[in-house]
Amino acid sequence: MSTLQTRGVIHVTDNCKACDHCTFICPTGAISGRLGQKHHIDQDICVNCGQCLINCPFGAIEDTSMVAKVKEALADPEKFVVVQEAPAIRVALGEEFGLAPGTNVKNKMYAALRQLGFDKVYDTEFAADLTIMEEGTELIHRVYNALGAEGFEHAGPLPQFTSCCPAWVKYAEDKYPHVLPHISSAKSPQQMFGAVAKTYAAEQLNIDPANMVVVSVMPCTAKKYECNRPEFVASGYKDVDLVLTTRELAQLIKEKNIDFLNLPDEKADKFIGLSTGAATIFGATGGVMEAALRTAYEILSEETLDKVEFEAVRGIEPVREATVEIPVKALGKKLPVNVCVVSGLKYVDDVIEDVLAGRSKYHFIEVMNCPGGCINGGGQPIRRDTY
Amino acid sequence: MSEIKGKVLKHDSQTRIMHWIHLISFLLLGLTGIAFYWDIGIIYKIFGGPANASLVHRWTAVVFTAGPAIYILLNFERFSKFIDTISSFTKDDFNWLKTMGGYVPFLKGDIPPQDKYNAGQKMLGWLVILGCILFILTGFPMWIWRHEVPAVFLNICYTIHFWDAIIMILAVAGHFFLAAIHPKSRVEFSSMMIDGYVDAEFSAHHNEKWFNKLQQSQ
Repeated sequence: MSTLQTRGVIHVTDNCKACDHCTFICPTGAISGRLGQKHHIDQDICVNCGQCLINCPFGAIEDTSMVAKVKEALADPEKFVVVQEAPAIRVALGEEFGLAPGTNVKNKMYAALRQLGFDKVYDTEFAADLTIMEEGTELIHRVYNALGAEGFEHAGPLPQFTSCCPAWVKYAEDKYPHVLPHISSAKSPQQMFGAVAKTYAAEQLNIDPANMVVVSVMPCTAKKYECNRPEFVASGYKDVDLVLTTRELAQLIKEKNIDFLNLPDEKADKFIGLSTGAATIFGATGGVMEAALRTAYEILSEETLDKVEFEAVRGIEPVREATVEIPVKALGKKLPVNVCVVSGLKYVDDVIEDVLAGRSKYHFIEVMNCPGGCINGGGQPIRRDTY
Repeated sequence: MSEIKGKVLKHDSQTRIMHWIHLISFLLLGLTGIAFYWDIGIIYKIFGGPANASLVHRWTAVVFTAGPAIYILLNFERFSKFIDTISSFTKDDFNWLKTMGGYVPFLKGDIPPQDKYNAGQKMLGWLVILGCILFILTGFPMWIWRHEVPAVFLNICYTIHFWDAIIMILAVAGHFFLAAIHPKSRVEFSSMMIDGYVDAEFSAHHNEKWFNKLQQSQ
């Protein structure tokens, strides 16, 4: 595998059999090559999602590996290495050790990470809560701005798109730059964690951020690209230094001969506080939308939700829409919020075209590149026997 | 029994044309297929690059499929008879296999009388039929449905296609050696590749049962 790249993290190797299966999988048409001809990825339009990688029949597509750099950091006594894991890891990692898909192994995962030598084992869920509070609040500000309320003139336009998925953000930047003002300005949970870790947490732990290494375990190859974006340097240093996929974490555990299945159940270190169930559902399509609706509902209505689930935004259809009535206490009336969930970039073009043409009926749109959400990300275990 | 100067007609013109079409397309398919699997640049160059080699492979595969299909439609009775012949495996066929028809020097023994096709040819007949069916069942999804089928299915198709090709290339190489090079049987070469006729004396010895039937029917 190659070393760190900033331009693109997915590459076709010489083992390509030129079967041409990947050109249909790629959501952006970044893969070229005729049948029989070794294929090539155009890094300018590749969104680094890794869907081609997990769907290659011959395992001939690879992602840039940061494993060596993680090992280097763990072996360096000068470095304080903290790790975060996305919600989708805990229900997929077990597959690499023979467990059924969906088995929740988060407590064994925390134990394994400690045995690997990480100084602090945190969880991304807290940062996912931060993201959703930011995104939810931003949505409310945009709604107030659209209603002409004073003090919200600088809020962006409606509808608001989510910003958690780095593949989606790059797609918008590459193909639809005019839609960027509609995308939430909130960082993804990975980057929020990194920023908070190297600022607030570093201060609390009395660690120089220069000596702190933040490692993410993500179900997503695009997160490797995201962590290298130049704007993510809240502390003056990279927010997130290195990213491992679920597969690579399993590889590290196996290399160290850790008996994963017989590890004791452990808990994550406390980052700042507790996390919510809304953070956990980030990994599935519609999860960010549902979490944002919960936040927006409680802030606007100033009521606590009896039933937190918004089931209308759940499902597996690539484009789903729903209308949620939210009582706005300040206005003394209910506001219908039209939401849309897009799972797969192949299906987002029409939605964007409507927004740019001013005919979109939506107020909030969630876009995730991978079918089904992060749970089916390009960094997850590859099960060639089940599909 | 057609007879010209002590010869008997073994393969009529349509059979010979079909055999030629299958042979040429098999050679093209084998050559391009080997290039794909081992990524051989010299072979790619002959066809103007890997993509063109793939194009040649795929359209030759259409000929490889359509040739026998049209032949079977036009000669259904003859084909049925061929299937009957290669499906009937008698004690004589098993005994022929014990001595490998005398082709293997250290296997001694009496060689029993054979049909129009000896036991080895019967087995080759079935091998070619089943091999071609496997090529078709795996090859066309690899081409036409490559975007729609699951990755694991595509992988299985490529694997089966490859091993099918290896077995078929070895089988055809053996068939070529016995039919065109081996001194005991190369007289048969012209019957399939040129005029369809084979020496009556050779047939009386190598395909005694068939030869006797021809004589009786005459």
